[in-house]
Amino acid sequence: MRRFVFALAALCGFSAHAATELVVWHAYRAAEKTALEKVAAAYNASRPGIHVSTLAVPFDAFADKISAAVPRGKGPDVFIYAQDRLGGWIEAGNTVEPIDFFLDQATKDRFIPTTTEAMTYRGTVYGLPVNYKEIALIYNKKLVPSPPKTTAELVTVAKKLTDTAAGRFGLAYAYNDFYYHAALMNGFGGRVFEGGSKPVLDNPQNLAALDELLKWIFKDKILPAEPSVALITALFNEQKAAMIFSGPWFLSEIAPTVDYGLATLPTLSEAEGKPMRPWMTVEGAFIAAPSQHKDAAYDFIKYLTDKEAGRVMALEGRQSPANKSVYDDPKVAADPVLKVFRKQAEVSVPMPNLPEMTMVWSPATTALAGISKGNVSPKDGMAKAQAQVAADVAKLHRH
Amino acid sequence: MAPSHRRRFALGTALGAALAVWLLHGFVSDARRQVARETLVRRAVVAAQAAAELLSREPGRLPEWKAGSAEVESALWVRGMQLESSTLPGESAPRRLQREEKPLFDRAQRIASAVQTNRDEGARKFEIEVEDAGGRLLVAAPVEAGGMVQILTRPLPPPPKAAWAAFFLALFTALAAVAAAAKLIGERRAILALVSIGCLAAPLGVLIRREVAEVRGERRVEAASVVARVHEQKALLTFGSPERWDADAFGRPRGEVRSDGSVDDAVVEAAASTSAGELGRALWTALFLALAMQLLAGFGAFSRIGSAVKRNRQAYLYIAPAILGMLLLVLYPFAYGITLSFTDQNLYNTNRPLAELWIGLRNYGDILGDFAVVRRGEGGFAINYLNFYWTLIVTVIWTVTNVAIGVSSGLVLALILNTRDLLFKPIYRVLLILPWAVPNYITALIWKGMFHQQFGVINHFLRMVGLPAVNWFDRPLTSFLTALATNGWLSFPFMMVISLGALQSIPADLYEAARVEGASRWQQFRAITLPSLRPALIPAVIISVVWTFNMFNIIYLVTGGEPGGATEILVTQAYKYAFERYRYGYAAAYSTVIFGILLVYGLIQNRVSKATEGG
Repeated sequence: MRRFVFALAALCGFSAHAATELVVWHAYRAAEKTALEKVAAAYNASRPGIHVSTLAVPFDAFADKISAAVPRGKGPDVFIYAQDRLGGWIEAGNTVEPIDFFLDQATKDRFIPTTTEAMTYRGTVYGLPVNYKEIALIYNKKLVPSPPKTTAELVTVAKKLTDTAAGRFGLAYAYNDFYYHAALMNGFGGRVFEGGSKPVLDNPQNLAALDELLKWIFKDKILPAEPSVALITALFNEQKAAMIFSGPWFLSEIAPTVDYGLATLPTLSEAEGKPMRPWMTVEGAFIAAPSQHKDAAYDFIKYLTDKEAGRVMALEGRQSPANKSVYDDPKVAADPVLKVFRKQAEVSVPMPNLPEMTMVWSPATTALAGISKGNVSPKDGMAKAQAQVAADVAKLHRH
Repeated sequence: MAPSHRRRFALGTALGAALAVWLLHGFVSDARRQVARETLVRRAVVAAQAAAELLSREPGRLPEWKAGSAEVESALWVRGMQLESSTLPGESAPRRLQREEKPLFDRAQRIASAVQTNRDEGARKFEIEVEDAGGRLLVAAPVEAGGMVQILTRPLPPPPKAAWAAFFLALFTALAAVAAAAKLIGERRAILALVSIGCLAAPLGVLIRREVAEVRGERRVEAASVVARVHEQKALLTFGSPERWDADAFGRPRGEVRSDGSVDDAVVEAAASTSAGELGRALWTALFLALAMQLLAGFGAFSRIGSAVKRNRQAYLYIAPAILGMLLLVLYPFAYGITLSFTDQNLYNTNRPLAELWIGLRNYGDILGDFAVVRRGEGGFAINYLNFYWTLIVTVIWTVTNVAIGVSSGLVLALILNTRDLLFKPIYRVLLILPWAVPNYITALIWKGMFHQQFGVINHFLRMVGLPAVNWFDRPLTSFLTALATNGWLSFPFMMVISLGALQSIPADLYEAARVEGASRWQQFRAITLPSLRPALIPAVIISVVWTFNMFNIIYLVTGGEPGGATEILVTQAYKYAFERYRYGYAAAYSTVIFGILLVYGLIQNRVSKATEGG
């Protein structure tokens, strides 16, 4: 009897050592969740020593849960999240494991460079990019047979389709939201930070981008006022907005009656034909710093961002994978949506992952609201926002 | 038997003295340990910095340097994925780092990034890392030629302890003095109190002065010890910039050592005074606490508490679980919040202990001391909407107008509903309670949509009757009105229900009697209805003031503070400080101020409503 118990204990001990249990947290639902679970199952089948289990955490609670649980060693081994919180987690410490040590050149080369840049904080890489999101041009095929290539064409087409009295607009997008406006700002060579985390909201390029926006609003009159996301959705679905700038999240909102097409954002006729460059948010797979199975975790995130997994995430999860080679797959290459976002990614700019970025949103939105209504000049509005952000950043950095 | 004052003061002195000795010994030991540790850390940092300079210029001399530095057990240089050199026996550097050595690689990366950050943005990150490693010190410093040097010291001497003898001597002196004095004085309480304070304070005061002077001396010894190490390293290297070796964690020279290796006495004295001053403040505060304890005991506070507990033992036993729950769930977070408000905690330093971030009343000073509500700008006057007093005024106006609207509209509707022969009364009642039943954030978002400049129903209506559309969220007043309308809509049903309930409980014969006496409708309302409503309405007004004062959802969702934070109220502003600007300490102070305001309101309200009850 006693021998039997020993044997059993030994067996349990053995099997516990044999299978490394990896816990992965994500905030996916529906198709994305199913795709991720499929990838995890395939991974488990191919690695006898490792077992990955995925856990869907509601998106609203996700970031706070990571901040609270991971530094205390209660969190997952791997988590998937966008880069906007990365800087904050790194500054708070003991949350995200740096992975430069694991990362070889071949792995690094398989990603679209800007997506890796989004995972890099002050010179160190902290995660592998899984997918990216950005805005592009979405147009109503009935109203706009071929999408405009330049902003000059855009304005010409949009003017014809605008009838303010009837509530029809050639173009609609949330231009008073800093995130959407960034496509113009970056296109003109503007930026938010310089030299680390020094805010430079009122630089001349940012002002030039705002002049362009003001031209669209007041001179060309192709845009609706106070463009909230709900309003834009309604306008597009009622065929009252011919073209909009929005991202993949918008596609599921489009009414089945609208025959829509996708194209990259136009180039700027007012800035020597440079492209509009939207912000790109990149979801990365991060290893939790207190994880006991970092090698296995790295093996998994490498697998998750490889070609085969990327194909599943793209075709079944409807994501735009950060891995370049996924787009060589004939099915992905033929996909009209993925194709356009891939092309747009060539010029997109990763959204800053600095924690200081959180202090920019509110003042920048206030400035944009005032400027886009013509209440303040771009110069005064941005100078005020710059002063506030600079003061807030300085107070945060003070010892 | 009447308790003896003498015995109480003797006991009080014993308690106070015990508390004082315990606290003083703790503080003094801490200060000593700190100075001793700082000495060791600084000596190790000097060695690491000297090694870093050596590696940048003559890396081949590392073994020779190690042999000459008696306090160093081992040193290694990591650059990228390479272990460039190491003094560990049997090590074949240079070689590639192995998997177990990832922490070394990460540390080198972290230090390099800290150096870059500090260069761009001033001293913000630790570029010299010090760690305890099994009774040794581990110091890592950046190497100019790339990577980092990491040294491990030989085992450290045990930390010094403050001897108890002097403390016990002070304690017994105080006790003996009080005992002797009590014999002479007898049962005269006032004199007993004065004398026993003197008897406790005098010996402890002497002790404090002595210990402070001692720590100041030790701080000077520390500087001398560091300088000795600098000289040793300078002799070993035969080159280098010694003034940079004695650096703080941000890599900044401390300034106590000059470039020729001599000591800057003024800087050392200033540092010694700072340490001595800090210790002195802590010790005098401890003594003050002890004296307070002595007096409390002497005047019988503890014996009164004790007898109260003994008398009502069962009652206290019954409420103990509830008290425990309150302590854990309410008092602890509350106390933590208050503590936080005295610190400068923000996103970057959440992992550091609060004591290091202590800034006293600065947050409160910043909030309450800034009276610049109106500033002179280029084009006339401009209001600083982020100013506390502006937000306070907005909050007060917000509260008063909302409660006024809620009470008056609720009361009017209740009076109408209370009409006896009204048809379909239940239907109206249900309809009027509906706004209350809908979750308030949904209502808020609907109202925000109704105020949209181009597509909102309100501007649509204005255009229909030929008026120009209003940009509601562009000006403080109109923006405020949108929130007011939303909250008015949400708050009248509550007041209506309360008033209706009270109205129905007024006996009908009162009105009958009034009618018989020939009173008009208005007279009936003034003399019967209003006084009967008062007991129900006053508590309702009190809570609705508190609710409205802290009505986060409506402001946050409807106006979002637009334009430019002009319509922010105190709670939404506190939220923005914490979760948009990441200044947790400041936000905690802001919340504490809000609490203070509501506390004062509560106290006044309490008094007023008691007066009305009496009347």
